[in-house]
Amino acid sequence: MKRIIRTTLTATAAVTLLAACGGAGGAEEGGDFSPRGDVTMLVPFAAGGGSDLAGRATAGALEAANGDLNVNVENKDGGSGAVGYAQFLGESGNGQYLLATETALLALPLGGTVDWTYEDFTPIMKIADDFTLMVAPQDAPYETCTDVVDAAKSERIVAGISGATGLDNVVFTLTEQQTGVEFDRVSFESGGELTAALLGDQIDIASLNPGEVIGQLESGDIKALCAYADERYEYDELKDIPTASEQGIDVSFAQFRGVLAPGGIDDAAKDYWVEQMEAAIETDEYTTYVEDNFLQPNTAAGDEFAAYLEDNNTKLQEVLDK
Amino acid sequence: MLDNLMLGFQTALTPENLFWCFVGVFVGTVIGVLPGLGSTTGVAVLLPLTLAFEPVTALIMLAGIYYGSQYGGTITSVLISTPGEAASVVTTLDGYQMARRGRAGAALSIAAIGSFVAAIISLLLLILLAPPFAEFALRFGPPEMMAVMVLGLATIISFAGDNRVLGLLMALVGLLIACVGVDTGTGVARYTFDSIYLLSGIPFVEVMIGLFAVGEVLNQIHEGAARPIRAGFRELMITKADIMRSRGAILRGSFLGFAFGVLPGAGSTLASFMAYGIEKNVSKSKDEFGRGAIEGVAAPESANNAAANANFVPTLTLGIPGGATTAVLLGAFLMNGIRPGPLLFDEQPDLVWGLIASFFIGNVILLALNLPLAPVFAQILRVPYGYMYPLILLTSFVGAYSITNSMFSVWVVLVFGIIGYGMKRLDFPMAPLVLGLVLGPLFEKALVQTSALGDGSLAILLDRPIALTVLVLALLQVVAPTIFSRLLRDRRAAAAQESDLTPRR
Repeated sequence: MKRIIRTTLTATAAVTLLAACGGAGGAEEGGDFSPRGDVTMLVPFAAGGGSDLAGRATAGALEAANGDLNVNVENKDGGSGAVGYAQFLGESGNGQYLLATETALLALPLGGTVDWTYEDFTPIMKIADDFTLMVAPQDAPYETCTDVVDAAKSERIVAGISGATGLDNVVFTLTEQQTGVEFDRVSFESGGELTAALLGDQIDIASLNPGEVIGQLESGDIKALCAYADERYEYDELKDIPTASEQGIDVSFAQFRGVLAPGGIDDAAKDYWVEQMEAAIETDEYTTYVEDNFLQPNTAAGDEFAAYLEDNNTKLQEVLDK
Repeated sequence: MLDNLMLGFQTALTPENLFWCFVGVFVGTVIGVLPGLGSTTGVAVLLPLTLAFEPVTALIMLAGIYYGSQYGGTITSVLISTPGEAASVVTTLDGYQMARRGRAGAALSIAAIGSFVAAIISLLLLILLAPPFAEFALRFGPPEMMAVMVLGLATIISFAGDNRVLGLLMALVGLLIACVGVDTGTGVARYTFDSIYLLSGIPFVEVMIGLFAVGEVLNQIHEGAARPIRAGFRELMITKADIMRSRGAILRGSFLGFAFGVLPGAGSTLASFMAYGIEKNVSKSKDEFGRGAIEGVAAPESANNAAANANFVPTLTLGIPGGATTAVLLGAFLMNGIRPGPLLFDEQPDLVWGLIASFFIGNVILLALNLPLAPVFAQILRVPYGYMYPLILLTSFVGAYSITNSMFSVWVVLVFGIIGYGMKRLDFPMAPLVLGLVLGPLFEKALVQTSALGDGSLAILLDRPIALTVLVLALLQVVAPTIFSRLLRDRRAAAAQESDLTPRR
């Protein structure tokens, strides 16, 4: 009974849509694909967070690029993203579903809490990189990341991190591997908590995304020591911050943001979404999102994104297996 | 200061902002009434809708939802013993008992009045003292927070009722339930049995709905349908004596709530439990607590509302969320292109002061809306329970489902409903369990962080004057009642002896 209703509904929706679009997108025949009715952008984190911002911006950019698309954002949080990804796994083969992804895609399987890997999904597009800055309270006795490393040789340096699989823990571990020093770790749950801990002098250093600390950087309560990025930022607010490699620490690691489709969709659907996303990153909506959040617009489409994930996964594994 | 506030009122009093403030407060109240939908979910769900507005309007409406839903949660706590969120669990203890005695109207009215007074006090503190308070709150690092959590756990003594050991055991059960899920430090999954739903732990809102709402319905069915409460309209009104009696409780609750609300993360739940505990200790009529003491409603309601406002201290002055709901609100700031941080007051004065002015207006609207409506809401209890039970169960399950859009929440409600029924039959106290469940993760986090900061040793607590002071307070809270009652008994015994002796003279 249920199935009959669903089929009827889908059929009705398809007919309505076909009538409405006048065949703009074409039907399923001939390997072509276009979504029927609304598309869902699943965000595996709560509304108001970084992933949610990314998901809504992507949905907005997709709609701006293609007036026929209607993308609804759905938040499904829990288990550091695991619940949302699990639901997405269940949508295998469904070309109407997208997911706003980020480093949790790799960190969750490496953490051993889930039984899927990034290969179970279809990478569509990496939309941006978010690098981190090593930051310290304004009155801290260090001015550069090298100062911190030198200090760590003779005294205890307490680094605040946001969990074992967090990007901040990754860059600190890479720094340790490079320089042979060691930082002590204290785990917090969010960028906000880390900022509070820095302001209250509870910890010596933290590694935060520019978007998370820009307010404190501008007010001068927190200072940036170096950027764990390949090149200096071009943003006016950040362009004076030297990179870690300028200071002799060759570490650069970004949190990526991107879009996934479920696994098991056909090539036509995949090509369709890659094409849509390629148009989406040309829109003003996309640019505003990237600039507001101090991201780097490093994009990678389809198979390139898949290659990036593979490479990133290997690096991450090396760090976490240490 | 005054100029700024005037500027704020100019912004907040534009017809458009006033209208959306009203809508926010009203919708918030409705959301709060629905079980499961607390302020955090309410703000998160409606956030996308406000993206079309001017930033200040959007934030005014979202903030209205925030404190509106705090009050809405009170309504169900009192009427049907279903707290909308953890912060109103304590209100059920005496609020529901008042309702069962036909005094629901008074309970709702005192909650509205208490919330209003707390709101005004905490807003004045916010305006006058936000920066120094925020500075002070920053000194609460992990060791201090751990001490605060110990203090919170110590309040269980006040809730344990006659059987302290049983109360402590229930708190331990709560702590144990809180152990389920991924440990934040190391990412190890505990007691999840390979279920992804258990990764983020057993959700306490669902547990509360199960224990309180479903448990109570099952218990009522077992006992045979209770008669609907036929209180006259006059009895539903709050009396002057009620207000006089609650005065102290409201004031103490307001200041206590503000203090706890300023600490990032400690929040309104702890404040409401502490406020109740304090009232129970200072009250002259201790025996009435748990049987419908009006102070038992006034204190926690004032405290959780003050804490909700105080949450804005770190949020607005530092850009650091004070609680779960303000965290979502910070997301709303970002989505509207406003970057919260220490410079917010300087860079966006009309927005910040407009928002603060709207808090005043919103709370006046809440009071004006709820005071006259309190007796009307109370009339719901006239509905025969035959109709009420299915309705409570339905809203409980629908509400639970809506939290995460999954059946898992519904199962949690059902399981804890049966547990709640069992606990009611056996007369086990439920509040300690909820407190354990809420404080468990916070306590664990602070403990792990403190130990990491202290390089594996908790001796760091001794170097921290604030932490030490709070720990001493916690200790006092545990031993003081025993010592006092013993002293009192000795003195009475001595007095009795004396009076025994007198006639012989």
